Amino acid sequence: MTTSSTEIENAMSNTAGCPFHARSLPSDGTPLAPSPRFAEWREQGAFVPLDFQDGHEGLVATRYDAVVSVLQDPRFSMLPARMPVGPATLDEPKSEGAAAAVPLELPGDLDEAAQASELLNLLTLDGAEHSKLRRAVTARFTVRQARSREPWIRDMIAGEVARIRGSKDVVDLWHDYAMPISARTHCHVIGIPPQKYEDFVELFVEPSTAQQKYDFIRALLEERRNDPGEDVITDLLNNPELTQIEIEGLLRLLMGAGRDSVAYLIATASVALLTHPEQMELLRSDVEGVRPAVEEFMRAGSMFVTLFARTATEDVEIEGTIIRAGTSVAVSPVAANRDPAHWGENPEQFDVTRDAFGHIGFGYGIHGCIGQQVARVEIREAITALLEGFPDISLVSAEQLEPHPFAHPVAVYEAGEVLVRLTTA
Amino acid sequence: MVVVVQRDACVGAGQCTLVAPDVFDQDDDGIVLLLEPEVEGALLEAANKAARLCPARAIAVSAQ
Ligand code: HEM
Ligand code: SF4
Repeated sequence: MTTSSTEIENAMSNTAGCPFHARSLPSDGTPLAPSPRFAEWREQGAFVPLDFQDGHEGLVATRYDAVVSVLQDPRFSMLPARMPVGPATLDEPKSEGAAAAVPLELPGDLDEAAQASELLNLLTLDGAEHSKLRRAVTARFTVRQARSREPWIRDMIAGEVARIRGSKDVVDLWHDYAMPISARTHCHVIGIPPQKYEDFVELFVEPSTAQQKYDFIRALLEERRNDPGEDVITDLLNNPELTQIEIEGLLRLLMGAGRDSVAYLIATASVALLTHPEQMELLRSDVEGVRPAVEEFMRAGSMFVTLFARTATEDVEIEGTIIRAGTSVAVSPVAANRDPAHWGENPEQFDVTRDAFGHIGFGYGIHGCIGQQVARVEIREAITALLEGFPDISLVSAEQLEPHPFAHPVAVYEAGEVLVRLTTA
Repeated sequence: MVVVVQRDACVGAGQCTLVAPDVFDQDDDGIVLLLEPEVEGALLEAANKAARLCPARAIAVSAQ
């Protein structure tokens, strides 16, 4: 069943002024149990109308095949970066994240070089400009590189396990476990020395200004210039093809991007397991199963309700729908990851034994997540350590089990408190 | 069956190396390397999965 372009145009005019905000992203779902609206939209067509924050009327893709088609089609551009209308966002995000990584407006008080760097965001570039910068950093994000980090990540996590074990009875897994694991790994891979960990957290986990971030990056580059290591900063400093402005722009994006997502996924996977004890037992009895289960955590717990919207640069026809030049298309990983046409029976069910490879939790296409291999290792090791270290762990409460505002103008969920009791005593 | 990779198109996301480590690797820059240009059986299955998952459509598996 496909929707013709006339139907789309009709649908667009028919729903104008809809009292139910039918064309905003829905607010009645939770991260692990998304709004039923997504299933309705999938039924209605490959693309359905959606309002964008600038008043522009665009589309949202919720079916797996349509999502994949848009994400691999070079006729879509990342600019102009328009955001869909969603439920209320948090007044004050608890942490820096995707929004920080995607400047929509340049802060006026930013110095000129930093303004130029801001414009070099991978997530706002297309084609050759994008691939030049992306290729400058892929070397540290390969499968082999991620594997070589495993022993370090495992040791670091053992330290975090020991810390929470010694602390108190009730622990916030998000803030006291997932956050430090994500931030320490981020520093390790990028090349931020351990003595600057606290500064990194202050600037890139807690809210800060863009200028403060650039000042930190510049000082760090100076410090690392004669102190090479196995990390991204060393690669960037050794790359003769990059300008200082490009290097600073890449680091600004890498430091801000993905760190919060890893913490989110560790927290969400924990909540999913704690609320599905039989699945948790299954993994505990065979921790090798955590490796493939990470794909199911990503599928069922996707953080992105929609990705950064793409805009058609010419008229594009996909699955019988004509998308006019200039139309913004938001694609929804949350919806595509539950499309029965792709996943078969029970896509809503959390099932750690499912082959969930091919989920859209890391995006897809040329902007597909660059950090995904190291993220997989972090999530796998963090969950394995929890299963092995805390046989009596139980859930006290989790903010994510309630409908959740979005963290940013970008339609992503933010992890909230996940309170657990570590022992039965 | 024959596997062909287009190194120009690769974006280095590593899906191929993850699901078919005996057929694909990534070079020091993260760009795909073909380890086994001819595959049958389990390797063929893995190569097909990689071709499906490759976000850049940089992998082709065909009869020749
Ligand atoms: C579970 C953890 C993570 C999730 C769920 C995630 C998700 C995503 C998604 C969905 C995209 C695509 C956005 C789009 O196409 O609109 C993306 C891109 C990106 N991610 Fe991640 N990410 C994670 C971890 C990381 C890590 C650890 C890093 C860096 C160390 C990272 C760095 C990036 C960068 C630089 C891009 C932009 C790539 C480009 O435009 O070419 N991510 N991520
Ligand atoms: S999956 Fe495709 S894009 Fe990714 S590394 Fe392999 S060939 Fe390159």
